Order: sequence, then structure tokens, then C-alpha cells
Amino acid sequence: MATETQESTAAPEAKSAGLPQFDFQWWPGQIVWFLIMFLVVLLFVRLFAAPRVGGTIDARDEKISGDIADARRLKDEAEAQATAAAAETAQARAAAQRVAAEARAKAQAEVAARLAEEEATLAEKGAVAEARITKARDAAMANVAGIASDTAGIIVSKLTGKAATTAELTAARG
Amino acid sequence: MAQQPAIEPMHQFLIHKIIQGPVFHVGGLAVDMSITNSVASMIAGAVILIAFFALTARREIVPNRGQALAESLYNIVDRVLVGPIIGHGGKPYVPYIFTLFLVILVLNLMSVVLAVGNVAGFDLTFAVTSQLAVTATLAVLTFFSVFILGFVKHGPRFLGLFWVSGMGIFGGIAMVLIEMISYFVRPLTLALRLFGNMLGGHVVMSLFGSFVVALAIVGLSGGLATLALIPSILSFAMIVGLTGLELVVAILQAFVFAALATVYLNEVVNFGHGH
Repeated sequence: MATETQESTAAPEAKSAGLPQFDFQWWPGQIVWFLIMFLVVLLFVRLFAAPRVGGTIDARDEKISGDIADARRLKDEAEAQATAAAAETAQARAAAQRVAAEARAKAQAEVAARLAEEEATLAEKGAVAEARITKARDAAMANVAGIASDTAGIIVSKLTGKAATTAELTAARG
Repeated sequence: MAQQPAIEPMHQFLIHKIIQGPVFHVGGLAVDMSITNSVASMIAGAVILIAFFALTARREIVPNRGQALAESLYNIVDRVLVGPIIGHGGKPYVPYIFTLFLVILVLNLMSVVLAVGNVAGFDLTFAVTSQLAVTATLAVLTFFSVFILGFVKHGPRFLGLFWVSGMGIFGGIAMVLIEMISYFVRPLTLALRLFGNMLGGHVVMSLFGSFVVALAIVGLSGGLATLALIPSILSFAMIVGLTGLELVVAILQAFVFAALATVYLNEVVNFGHGH
């Protein structure tokens, strides 16, 4: 057992007295094999992996930026449409207000005209009525003088026992 | 006395053949193409990467989890590194940086994650990126690809990279030397940074793993030695924590390597713009 341990520890020391990496008998084979392996991987990466992976990444970036540009364009379009719609609404509202104002003015004018007409009619009727009242009053007043003369004659005849003359009554009425 | 396993933290880096392959002799250099444990891990890494992207690289606008992971990995290279550092001119180099990142990432992660298999006695893991041969290959390949690209794109003018203006003739020549040293030391730092990080982490984890077993064996022999179970358990807790740390290091080192490669590439692509 002791010899075994001794052998295994002594063996590498005897070989190169240090790192196995400096055992140059393995260098040429390793270098050539490594170059072959590297070249194979390089060709694979150059012809397949890099264009495939890089192309996919570029395609994705293009798709994303394209989609964002589309979205931005659509948003701009929608905003333009919204602005146009707002302008149209404002125009329509203004038109509606104008129509409403016109209709109101017309209605007011009509009302005023009819009011004036009614007033005129009323004034005419009032004038007629007044004239009739004046006439009736005059008539009544005339009757009152007669009644007063008659009453005075009756009173005089009752008091004095003799009838007063018309001339006397008229003079008394003053 | 119970049998003591030897504490050999370097044992995990030993290379051994699995399948004997042909040996080519190139100018006195023997290139042994055998499938070793290191080569098997590299091939497994490549298979994992290819299978992962074959399964997850779908063209869906709304990704599922796998696709989201694949795209996140790609975005780390494309939108975190190459985009901000190099700019639009860096697009053609994304596949290379992405490959660097993926290869280092998968090999690093395999060396940490598959180490769990060692608990059950399976020798699944081999830290390929803790082999200096591999990290040096990556560093030299990346550095000289970038350096040569500089001449291809800009011709001899690219040497102006080493010229610092506003220093006068003698100051300028002295600065050329310093600039050249600091430039050509880059592959060394690239190789050693990855190698050192992976090596260190694995050595420490292996050491604490050895402590768990060795101290537990001592502790189970009874008597006062039972106290040895306490450091054994503490060592196990350390391994749990270290595994989390090593996962972070594995991802971070892949990112750092890719980031530095991007920075070096930037000097070439935007040569004469930023200086």
C-alpha cells in the first residue's frame, strides 16, 4: 500500500516536474483537433446560427417598430377624425343656434304684431264704448233737467197750490 | 490505518488516449491525432453547441425559453460587445466573436458542470480551457487574424498603430518599441488569463474535494480523530461555494476573451478614426 501511494505521487513529478499542461507531446494533436473543432463551430455559426438568430432578432425589432409606427399613425388619424368631428359638431351647434334664434325672433315678431292688432281692436272698441257712454250720459243729463223741472213744478204746485210756469222753472234751475 | 487517497490536484489535467489515431510527421514534429480525453471533450463541446442552436434557433416572434437563451447569447456579442465597441462596421465580425464566446463558454461550463459526475465516479469532465495548448491556440489565432486583417484593410499604413504622435522623433521611436511590446504581449495575456483562471479554479476545487475524502476517512476511524469530520464538512461547503464561483468565472472568462478580441478588432476596423 505504501509503495502504491509513493508511485502515484512520484509519477507526475518524474514526468514533467510540474504542470501536465507543459507536457509538449500532446500539444500538436490538441492544437490541430482544436482548430478543426473551432472551424466546424465557426462555419456552423457563420452559415446557420448567427444569420438565423440575428435575423430573427432583427425581424422582431422591425416588427415591433413597425407595429408602433402603425399604432402611432392610427392614433394620429383618429385624433384628426376627432378634431374634424368636433369642428362639425361646433358648426352644427352654431347652425342650430342660429335657426333657433331666428325662430324665436320670428315668433316674437308675430306675437308683437298680434298684440298690437289686438290692442288696436280693443282701443277702437273702447273708443266706441266711450262715445256711447258720453252720448248716454248727455242724454241722461238732458233728462235730469227735465226731471228736475218736472219735480220742481210738482213741488211748487204742492207747496203753493198753483203750477209754476215753464219759464219760471227754467229760470229757477239756473 | 485506513487507506489514504493521494492528494493530486494536477491529476485532472493529465491527458490520456482513448482511441489511437494516425500520427502525422510534419517536419520532424509528430502530430498525434489520437482521440484523447481532451479531444473528446472538444468534440462533445462542438456537438453540444451545434445541437443547442439547431434546436433553439427558431424564427418565432415570441420566443420560447431555448430561443430566448440563444438570442440572449447572441445579443451579448452583438449588442453588448460588437455594437457599442466597434459600431456598425463590426457586423461582419460578429460570427467570429460569437464563435469565440460560445466555444470558450461551453468548454468552461462543461468543465465545471460535468464535474458533478465525478462524485458518482464518472470521469466525464476534462477542462479543455485549462490546457495552455488550447488557450494559446485561441489567443494566437485571434490575435494574428486581427493583425493580418489590419494589413489587408489598411496596408502598410497599419504600422502607424505603433506611432504615437506629438512625441518628437526620438520620443516617437522609443514609444514605438513600448507600443510594440504592449501590442505583441496581447496573445500571451489572452492565453494565460483564460488558462490561469481555469487552472486555478479547478486546482482549488480538487484540493477541497481531496480534503473532504481524506478528512472523512480520518474522522471515521473513531476516537478523538472524529473531530476531523468538522473540517471535512467545511471543505464540502467550500466546494459548493466554489462551484458557484467557478460558474461565474467560466462565464466571465468567456465574456472577457470575447470582449478583448472585440477591442483589438475595433483598432483595425476603426483604424485612424479614434486615434
